[in-house]
Amino acid sequence: MDDRLKETLSAMMDDEADELSVRRLLSREGQDEVCAQFQRWHQVRDLIQRRNPAVDSIDVSEGVRDILEGHDQGLDRGDVAGQPARKRWHWPAVAMVALALAVGFGAGTGWESGSLSSDQLAAAGDVPELPIKGMDEQQREQLSRYLLQHAQHNSFGSSHASMGYARAVSASGAEY
Amino acid sequence: MRWMRFAKLSLLSVSAILVAPVALAVETKQDEPHYWLERLEPALTETAYKGVFVYARGDQVSSMQIAHRFHNGMVEERLVMQDGQIGEIVRKGMDVVCVLPKHGRMELNDAIPSGPFAGALANQLVPVDRWYRPEITGRDRIAGHGVVRLTLNARDSLRYSHQLWLEESTGLPVKGNVLSAAGDILEYFHFTSLTISDSLPDQEFMIQSEGREVSRTLEPQSSSKPDGSMEGWTLGWRPGGFQPAATPRSGSGKAVAFSDGLASFSVFVESVAGTGMPSGTSRIGATTVYMRQLAKGQADFLVTVVGEIPLKTALKVAESVEIEDFEVLGANQP
Repeated sequence: MDDRLKETLSAMMDDEADELSVRRLLSREGQDEVCAQFQRWHQVRDLIQRRNPAVDSIDVSEGVRDILEGHDQGLDRGDVAGQPARKRWHWPAVAMVALALAVGFGAGTGWESGSLSSDQLAAAGDVPELPIKGMDEQQREQLSRYLLQHAQHNSFGSSHASMGYARAVSASGAEY
Repeated sequence: MRWMRFAKLSLLSVSAILVAPVALAVETKQDEPHYWLERLEPALTETAYKGVFVYARGDQVSSMQIAHRFHNGMVEERLVMQDGQIGEIVRKGMDVVCVLPKHGRMELNDAIPSGPFAGALANQLVPVDRWYRPEITGRDRIAGHGVVRLTLNARDSLRYSHQLWLEESTGLPVKGNVLSAAGDILEYFHFTSLTISDSLPDQEFMIQSEGREVSRTLEPQSSSKPDGSMEGWTLGWRPGGFQPAATPRSGSGKAVAFSDGLASFSVFVESVAGTGMPSGTSRIGATTVYMRQLAKGQADFLVTVVGEIPLKTALKVAESVEIEDFEVLGANQP
């Protein structure tokens, strides 16, 4: 790797790199080497500054490339420069499935009514309970659809996409 | 400026040589919460395992069998329901096959909106530290495996706290709790048996029960460009750290999902001519639903917030929804 690229890499760490040089860096062959260098320097910097080493094996090049291509997803620059593109796991995706499978959202049996804690009531003011049991079929299906789609937001795109499908099945199998 | 950069570069390079052994030592330090946080997603994707887990929220408990592996560059998974009606789901990469329980009411195709989806969740750039306080809070043994307990305490009252028990050698979560501000467990999952093995037989990943099969291919994630665009409406407030994650299609209505890296909520805004949905709130485990009628001109809309968030957060989000464009939302112009 030549000095100019190293200079760009160093500038990237300080969020001072210009777009053109970042593009040049990312289009270079041997991205592994670039990533390795970037990670080493981060480790060094973290050690010097006594931070927690945060970029063990994360490749930010994809995220940076996306942003240069204009796919900025509303994230501020600070996040991109300072934080690696992390994949987060959404445990509710796993968690919400099984119950849904067995009971279904529409059943309404497990949904609490009238048992909010005093804290919650204080925070929420005077919020009426949703009378799920008193809903007609159309209304319950509407509610089920919302719950289902929310479950899918949790799981699609993660490595646990099946979980979303599991919830879909649950709605399908729910006996109202 | 330029010479300064070179000076810094040299310093970095020299330091790299000097501290390289120390860097290695820190990297393997298992008492660091970040060490485990970074491993979470790769552990979930790449670990080959099978087992049974229990999931509970509110007063309901159910169990599921799962097999998972990363094979030929793609995720393979099979889930089998252990309670109630028989059903199973097999996924190979982006192909999914479901065997549905007998008395299906809702078509799967209705349930699963088509089009690009929430790939964004996997690409979150949300720094978890800013909204949660990660901490290693002990070691334990679960489903026969040594585990590390990672606690993620919410830094504000707008979200719940989480606890994860991670298997020591792989980082795979084998137990998880969602906790209220008062420390009550709202919902949890818990593996009761778990085998981590790279030699799971192919049989484990094939449909084995009989029933109505539905196949579907997921859209590749690259086509997903969730921009959080709220067509026809805007959100005046959202809790800190929650970024737009998806723009799913919900019939004629518009929905947007938000996530802070651990928790998520979805907002649905639809014209409600005819359905007469009531307003109010309902909860099960950590999931809160809040529905609110919103009149704009002569048109009525239903705002629904669903998520693993406290009621006051859901309430505040729902109250901040403003309707901008009637036609986009399918309502007649007054």
